Amino acid sequence: MTAAARAVGRGAMRLGAYLGLAILVAIIIGLVALGVLPAARWAPFADVRVWRFLGEGLLATVQMGVAALVASLILSLPLALARIGAPAPVRAVVIGWIELVRATPVLALVLGIVLFMPRTGLDIQPIWAATLALTIYTSAVLAEIVRAGILSIPRGEVEAARSLGLPYAATMRLVVLPQALARMTPAIVSQLITLVKDTSLASIAAVPELLGFARSSFTFYGNPVETLFVVACIFFVICYTLSRISRRLELHRPADVMPPVLGEEGLQPVVRA
Amino acid sequence: MFGGVILDNLGIFAQGYLATVILAVAAMALALAIGTVAASIRVWGPPFASGVAGFYVEFFRNTPLLVQLFFYATLFAPRNLGITSDPVVVAIIGIGIYTGAFVTEAIRSGILSVDPRQVEAARSLGLSQVQTLRLVVLPQAIRTVIPPLGNLSIALVKNTSIASAISAREILFVGLLVQSRTFSLEPFVAILAAYWSLTIPLSIAVSRLERRLAFSR
Repeated sequence: MTAAARAVGRGAMRLGAYLGLAILVAIIIGLVALGVLPAARWAPFADVRVWRFLGEGLLATVQMGVAALVASLILSLPLALARIGAPAPVRAVVIGWIELVRATPVLALVLGIVLFMPRTGLDIQPIWAATLALTIYTSAVLAEIVRAGILSIPRGEVEAARSLGLPYAATMRLVVLPQALARMTPAIVSQLITLVKDTSLASIAAVPELLGFARSSFTFYGNPVETLFVVACIFFVICYTLSRISRRLELHRPADVMPPVLGEEGLQPVVRA
Repeated sequence: MFGGVILDNLGIFAQGYLATVILAVAAMALALAIGTVAASIRVWGPPFASGVAGFYVEFFRNTPLLVQLFFYATLFAPRNLGITSDPVVVAIIGIGIYTGAFVTEAIRSGILSVDPRQVEAARSLGLSQVQTLRLVVLPQAIRTVIPPLGNLSIALVKNTSIASAISAREILFVGLLVQSRTFSLEPFVAILAAYWSLTIPLSIAVSRLERRLAFSR
C-alpha cells in the first residue's frame, strides 16, 4: 500500500469514527423523537445548577482518583522490590497479598472496607475509606507493572553497575528505574483509566462522587436514562483523553528496542500496520 | 461457631454462586462473539466501517461498567423501552458489550501481530486468501490472543460483582443480603472465597498457558 493510499484510509477511518459518534447521537435523537426519552427530561440540563451539582461530584471523583493514584504509586515500588528480591518468607507474604488482592473484585473491596471500617472504631469518612480500598487494589496491580518494568531491564546492566561499585540503591535509582519507568508509563496511565472508572463503584457504598451526585439529581428530576448518558459522556471525555496520552507516550518510544509492559484489562501495545 | 451463618444460608449462597457463574459464562460468550465480529471489521472491513468499530471500542472501554449497567437497566425497564426488567439479562448484555470492546482490541492486535510479509509470501506461493488466513495467520494470531483473552475473562468474573448494583441476585448481592440480616463478618468471607475460587484457578491457568505458548514460539 502506498503512503497516499494509507493516508486516504486513515482519513476514511477517522470519518468512520465520526460516523460512529453520529450513529450514537442519531439513536439518542431517535429515542427522543419516539418519546422514549422525551425532550422535557433533558430540560434540566439547560439549568447551570445541574452542571454545578454534577461538577461537585466530579471534584470528589478527581480527589479520590488522584489520592488513590499517588498512594498506589508510592506503595507499589516497595511491593514490587519485595516481590523481586526480599528474603523468602517476606516474599511469600507479598506474593500472597498481591495475588489475593488482584483476585478480588474492586466492588467487594470497596464495600467491605466502607462497611467494616466503622467496626474497627476508626472514624474515617466513607470517601477516604473508599479511596483506601481503591489504593489497596491499584497498588497491587501497579506492583505487578513495576515488577515487570524492572525485570525488563537486561541483567547485564545491573551487573555492570554493581561491578562499577554502585550500591544496590544507587543502581536502582540511576540505572534501572529511569529506564523501567519509561516502559511502564503507558501501562500506568492505562491503570489510571481503570482507577477513574472504578471510583464510580464508591457510589454503591453511599460515597458522594460523580455517579452518586448524578443519582441524587436524576431522582429529583426523574430523568435517569438522560442523566446516566451525560455521566457516561463525562467519564468518556476524561478516560479517552488519558488513553490518547498513553498512546502518545507509546508512539514516542521505539517499540522494537523497548517492549511495553502490559497493564490490566489487556492494554495492548500499539501495532503499526 | 464460625461458619454457622454460612451453613444456615447455604442454599441462598449456592444460588448466588450459580448466578455468578452463569452470568460470567454468558457474558464472556457474548463478548467473544461481539469481539470477533468487531475485530474482523476493524482489520479487514472498509476503513469507514473500521472507524465505526473503533468508536464502539473507545466509547465502551472508557466508560465505567457501573454507569453502563445503570443506563441499560433504566433504558430497558418497562417504563422506557420495555425490553426486559430481568437484572441478570441486563447484566449479561451490559457486561458482554463492555468486555466485547476489550476483546475486540485483543483480537485485533493478535491478527496484526502476524507479519504482513508472511501473508504476502503465502499468497505468492499460491495459497488462496482463505487458506492464508486459516493456515498462516490464525494459528499464529490465536497464540498471541489467548493470554490477553484469559486476563479479560478474569477481569470479567470480577466485573460480574457490579451486577449486584442492579439487583442481580449473584454472590455479592446475596452475601450482602445475608450480612445485613445477621451483621456477621462471615458472609463477607464467603463472598471473597467464592470469587477467589473462580479467579485464582483462572489466573493460574492463564499463566501456565502463557508460559507454554511462549515456549512453543
